Amino acid sequence: MSGKGQILIQVKDLRKSFGDHNVLDGISTEICQGEVVAIIGPSGCGKSTFLRSLNLLEEPSGGVILFEGTDITDKSVDINKMRQKIGMVFQQFNLFPNHTVKGNIMLSPVQTGLMSKEQASQRADELLERVGLLEKADTYPAMLSGGQKQRIAIARALAMNPDVMLFDEPTSALDPEMVGEVLELMKELAADGMTMAVVTHEMGFAREVASRVMFINDGQIQEENTPEEFFANPKNPRLCDFLSKVL
Amino acid sequence: MDTLINKFQQNFIEDDRYMYLLKGFGNTLLITLLAVIIGIILGFLIAMVRSTHDKHGGLTVLNAVCRVYLTVIRGTPTVIQLMIMYYIILTTLSNKIVVAAIAFGLNSAAYVAEIVRSGIMSVDEGQFEAGRSLGLNYGQTMKLIIMPQAFKNVLPALANEFITLLKETSVSGYIGIMDLTRGGDIIRSGTYEPFMPLIGVAVIYLLLVMLLTAGVHKLEERLRTNER
Repeated sequence: MSGKGQILIQVKDLRKSFGDHNVLDGISTEICQGEVVAIIGPSGCGKSTFLRSLNLLEEPSGGVILFEGTDITDKSVDINKMRQKIGMVFQQFNLFPNHTVKGNIMLSPVQTGLMSKEQASQRADELLERVGLLEKADTYPAMLSGGQKQRIAIARALAMNPDVMLFDEPTSALDPEMVGEVLELMKELAADGMTMAVVTHEMGFAREVASRVMFINDGQIQEENTPEEFFANPKNPRLCDFLSKVL
Repeated sequence: MDTLINKFQQNFIEDDRYMYLLKGFGNTLLITLLAVIIGIILGFLIAMVRSTHDKHGGLTVLNAVCRVYLTVIRGTPTVIQLMIMYYIILTTLSNKIVVAAIAFGLNSAAYVAEIVRSGIMSVDEGQFEAGRSLGLNYGQTMKLIIMPQAFKNVLPALANEFITLLKETSVSGYIGIMDLTRGGDIIRSGTYEPFMPLIGVAVIYLLLVMLLTAGVHKLEERLRTNER
């Protein structure tokens, strides 16, 4: 699509079925470096399944996913190595309740051998500062508000220095007043040039921050375009219908 | 009151009869301790196999073996298992304490396994996904994220299992081990006096269980720090 940077993720004819239900019915697209792709669509359309396929949390039934040129659906590929470069943020935060906030951030860099304890600790402090929660370093996740949890979850994913960040409805589980702080942080990330794929219901965010908006319905990409075109001139009738309901 | 003191002297002090209880107490503790260790190690292994199979498929054969094991162990009385172990399977082992520890350990493992499995299954799948999405492998995710949470969830049930185990070792006498219960029996058959030996043995078991419960309570409190 946009010739911004190198192709980071290339998806070819991605398929996923549960029984005889085709959740993903042949998805092909590319995500380039520096792009922010907003993925929208009605619930049950397959948008989350698509996102979760990109780091193989969902195992595809068919098709190819190239991440930086490597086919991650190939069984001989060390998926753990690949996932270290693909950050993921979940709707339900999924912070580890048995580790402190800082422990959550340091866990993976240290355990995977990416950083020494000292390096990871320093990186964690930087990230905590960046998300504005340095004073929460030694508390446990149970003590945080939803918005704070999600900011920590973002920091945790960033600690691995990923090349791309996947967001699976990052604000859907938040109280309305906390949505803003998380979106603001994501906006900053985008401005810093982070490559992002975001499944979201926040049309404002899609319009304002995304470089491309993708509409998935019935397991297929039915329309994708720059946000200006996408929202001003939707062509697909299902998309017109969808936008008329959510906007 | 005087007769009580007399009886106490007769049952425990005369001829150093308290030594039966002391030695029995030692054997009971030793058998329980060894059995707990076997039960925990084997139980956790079985739980890992079973929950891995339940959650992610695979390990079909191992899982089937585990299920047969659980069915047999949980479907037969402990004392029968103990005697089968002593008279049929481990006939070459001369150390009865070790035989009993193995029998009770294998028995306890079945119960520990199901308790731990329920603990693993109770941890939200999102925890597993978060660990894997960060590039941790299966083993690291289990060890650093899932197991600590599972352990905390099942600690009361595990403590219960070990209390049961401690009391279940009182059938050790069936293969001629002088455990605490048997120690009391020997005193009773020497003095023809049931009250003191039986109540004495009961009180010792009770104190042991209370001590164990208090210890687990402390541990629970320590593990709960991250909720505050």
